[in-house]
Amino acid sequence: MPGSNSQGKVFLDRRAVLLGTAACLAAPYVISSARAATPAVNVGVIMPLSGPNAQFGINSRNGVELVADEINSAGGIAELGGAKINLVVADATSTPTTAGTTAQRLIAQQDITAVLGAFASSLTLAISEVTERRDIPLLTMSFADQITGRGYRNIFQVVAKASVIGKAQFEYTAAIAQAAGAKIEKIAIMYEDTAYGTAQANGLRAGAKAANVEVVMDDAYPLGITDTTPLINKLRVSGAQAVFPVSYLSDSLLIIRTMRQQRVTIPAIGGAAGYVIPDFEKGLGEFAENVLSIDTSNYDLAPELTDRFRKRFGYFMVHEALEHAVCLEIVVQAIKKAKSAKAEEVAAALRGAKFTGGWVNGMTGGAVQFDQTGLNVLSVPLMVQWRGKDIVTVWPKEIAKSAPVWRS
Amino acid sequence: MSLLQAIIDGLLIGGVYAVISIGLTLVYGVMGIVNFAQAEFLTIGMFVAWFAWAFLGLDPVIAAPLSFAVAFAIGWVVQGQLIARVLNAPSVAQIFLTVGILIVIENGSLLLFGSQFRSVTTAYQTVSLSLGPLFISVPYLIAFSMSLVCGVALWWFMRASWFGRAMRATAQNPAAARLMGIDAGLMYRMAFALGVGLTAFGGAVILPYVTVFPGVGGQFVVLMFTVVVLGGLGSVAGAVVGGLAVGVIQSLSALFFPIQLQNLVLFIVFILVLAVRPQGLVGASR
Amino acid sequence: MKGRSAPCLFIVAAVLVPLLLDPRGYWIRVLTITLLFAAMAQAWNIVGGLANQISLGHAAFFGIGAYTSTVLLLKFGISPWLGMFAGGALGGLAAFVIAIPTMRLQGHYFALATLAFGEVMRVIANVWTSLTGGPGGLSVPFVPPSFLAYSFKLLRPHAYIALAALIVVTVIFQAIRRGAMGYRLRAIRQNADAAEVIGIDTTRVKLFAAVISGALMAMLGTLYAQVAVFFDPDTVFGIASISIRVALIAIIGGVGTAAGPILGAFFIIPLEEIMNGLLSSRAAGLSQLVFGVILIAVILWQPRGFITALNSLRARLSRKGAP
Repeated sequence: MPGSNSQGKVFLDRRAVLLGTAACLAAPYVISSARAATPAVNVGVIMPLSGPNAQFGINSRNGVELVADEINSAGGIAELGGAKINLVVADATSTPTTAGTTAQRLIAQQDITAVLGAFASSLTLAISEVTERRDIPLLTMSFADQITGRGYRNIFQVVAKASVIGKAQFEYTAAIAQAAGAKIEKIAIMYEDTAYGTAQANGLRAGAKAANVEVVMDDAYPLGITDTTPLINKLRVSGAQAVFPVSYLSDSLLIIRTMRQQRVTIPAIGGAAGYVIPDFEKGLGEFAENVLSIDTSNYDLAPELTDRFRKRFGYFMVHEALEHAVCLEIVVQAIKKAKSAKAEEVAAALRGAKFTGGWVNGMTGGAVQFDQTGLNVLSVPLMVQWRGKDIVTVWPKEIAKSAPVWRS
Repeated sequence: MSLLQAIIDGLLIGGVYAVISIGLTLVYGVMGIVNFAQAEFLTIGMFVAWFAWAFLGLDPVIAAPLSFAVAFAIGWVVQGQLIARVLNAPSVAQIFLTVGILIVIENGSLLLFGSQFRSVTTAYQTVSLSLGPLFISVPYLIAFSMSLVCGVALWWFMRASWFGRAMRATAQNPAAARLMGIDAGLMYRMAFALGVGLTAFGGAVILPYVTVFPGVGGQFVVLMFTVVVLGGLGSVAGAVVGGLAVGVIQSLSALFFPIQLQNLVLFIVFILVLAVRPQGLVGASR
Repeated sequence: MKGRSAPCLFIVAAVLVPLLLDPRGYWIRVLTITLLFAAMAQAWNIVGGLANQISLGHAAFFGIGAYTSTVLLLKFGISPWLGMFAGGALGGLAAFVIAIPTMRLQGHYFALATLAFGEVMRVIANVWTSLTGGPGGLSVPFVPPSFLAYSFKLLRPHAYIALAALIVVTVIFQAIRRGAMGYRLRAIRQNADAAEVIGIDTTRVKLFAAVISGALMAMLGTLYAQVAVFFDPDTVFGIASISIRVALIAIIGGVGTAAGPILGAFFIIPLEEIMNGLLSSRAAGLSQLVFGVILIAVILWQPRGFITALNSLRARLSRKGAP
């Protein structure tokens, strides 16, 4: 029988347990003594580096790294005597509790000036519970309405809220269709039943209602769905003139492919996430062409900045990378304004303030302005469209780089 | 008409569910162990097929036997080194050994291959055949046909080959089988390796329409277990019946219930079967 | 009795340690979570260890508890303490409902059925947005700190509450194990048919164990909600994050023993934290992988848990001491 009581095994067992316990007890001392006295500014970067959102987490981290490296190679932060930015990167995993504990660990192990994270709203919410209570500013591009809806003072969101994004997803579509001479009266909404999908679907519904457009199909589907045939079957018989899917990558590919199979040719307007990353085009090839999607920012608004990302990492600067880059830029600007790297002072410099210049040019309006809830009121969603291997901003007209193509 | 379409779609995808799940039921039938890590071999099969596509240009369906072979080899080692040691241990140990294997494979894949989603592009991915007003998705049809081939091959193997009969003998009565000169350990390794190989084969076959990433196996766990329980744990024919049934149930439930609840419907079927007829539709009472 | 000294030492240490740790810091949070999971594993141990029914769906009760107290707080302003008992009642009821169809199932089948139940609860929580907030989750609202409102500025009180919970659950576990109920459960575990023959009402006994385990697990859900402050269906009804984890903790420590879940929790959770701290940014998934390897190693090498190793060590030492 395995593990039976031969002498050697029992001893090893006891030693292992004792060593393990000793390690557990000694760890805090070991780790805290590593708290060096270098004049670096510690910025926590907590992203999902494992689990289903890992790809987005890695993209985000890449964006932050690009900016940090640029600032450091230019001599660091002059106002603090050339202090360099030290990114403390940690995996938020896919569980909110772990994200919270990770934030707590980062904060306990070094003096953190600010935290950037964590792409997925549920992770960001969990982290914000920790940072709010420790008076450390958290900057994010997660957009669930709750993030800025709790009256917290240390949360700063650089993009518009989910309900606004969802509404824009519909309104822009209606405008684009109208400009092409088509009128939309019936739409279909399909979304993953995650916080992201549900929040954005709410916005879509509100937009449709305000325009008196009938929603002939409104279906949530489980995350990780492996067969979208029933969804598309339903879509086909619903009579919708446009479909608004809100999905991550694997379902976005499934949906578009199944639509093709079933000869459902109505326009699909994606809800960001899976619809605006390079893998979408890689997976669909020619079928990605002219697919529209709402987005919170796009690299073609500031190519002089975002081309650096493409050069370094080999793919276009996806919106989460750009937005997190902007977050770091804003933190550095706040540090310069406050002439301090202390979390509370940086937070005070962020609250209700306006930022321009540097990477902030990548956001709509070329500036970021936080209101008292921490929301960036200058961020306006935009509609992008796939052209070849790139996504191009096509609406609103004032910032569009190309006219939208509407195939109905 | 939508009813007919739903049934056709359900049968096609059910065939695939069957081939993915046969392995699970085979392992239980021969060894009495529920392999909670079975879905991870689906992931392995998909990754192998993806790499074969990316580097060798092989269509996933052609690469499926390669997936089978790789998973077979891994399964052989896993059974021999790990699972064999808990065959006589309490079920607690058996369950959690396979859970440990699940954790290792999933995170191993994450470390080796990274987190990004990978999909293949094939010529027939977005094509469907028209049968009057009905659509028959070509990738599903191909997957279904491959599953059929696989199922028939397995049936022949279990019935007609020496190995197959030896495995069934070991499953029925290990002591008697040993007396007849059959090496039970070898049979167990064979059964496990075959079982995980089949699941990996299924993975390759569905690659044209499923995107692979380290956690993809987890999306099929519910389905696999519902299939084998419905059909009867241990019965290969049951896995086929169960697979088709689950496919059709899933497809039909979308007509009457919100799609968001499709898993709920499956779970309830699952629980009802366990409560009312644990041996499943086809299985014999153990 | 010989066995008294270890628990006493543990309690003394557990009471003193939180006073030494930074009350807003990381390690006290780890300690709190560890104590909480030890209590959860102990609750699981009642069915998993004593009744030998491997439940892979205990998250169902945990989530019921977390949601009940939080929803009552959000909608009616009811204190989480009361909400905890309400959650406990619902958890016990759910356990009753689940136990009836699954009672006669053996080993693997029982595990699968409980897995399905856990998932059913998760899907319901995800879909019933008006009650549970759906996939967006719930935040425990911030109220001014007070004991009655179960709201504290620092983590230290949470650690003590978790410790108290662990003690309570362990006492209940021991009471069941050593009492007449424990004798009946052991009989059923050995041979259910023989137990029926000698007059044990196996149905009633199993139901009893299930309901107690479910109720306790649900009450611990409230503790969790108050510490974590934010949760969603995936967190509290999660298979990997809760169901498998608590079973694993009890098993590694030593299923069926009182010390097992405690040992298991104090081994697994700090170890996981240390590994995450050292490894997570360098290679995602490595810490989990190492953890999986350790699980396999423990199962193969000491399937009855660490406690067996410690017991045989103690036996060897006492043999050495004998004249």
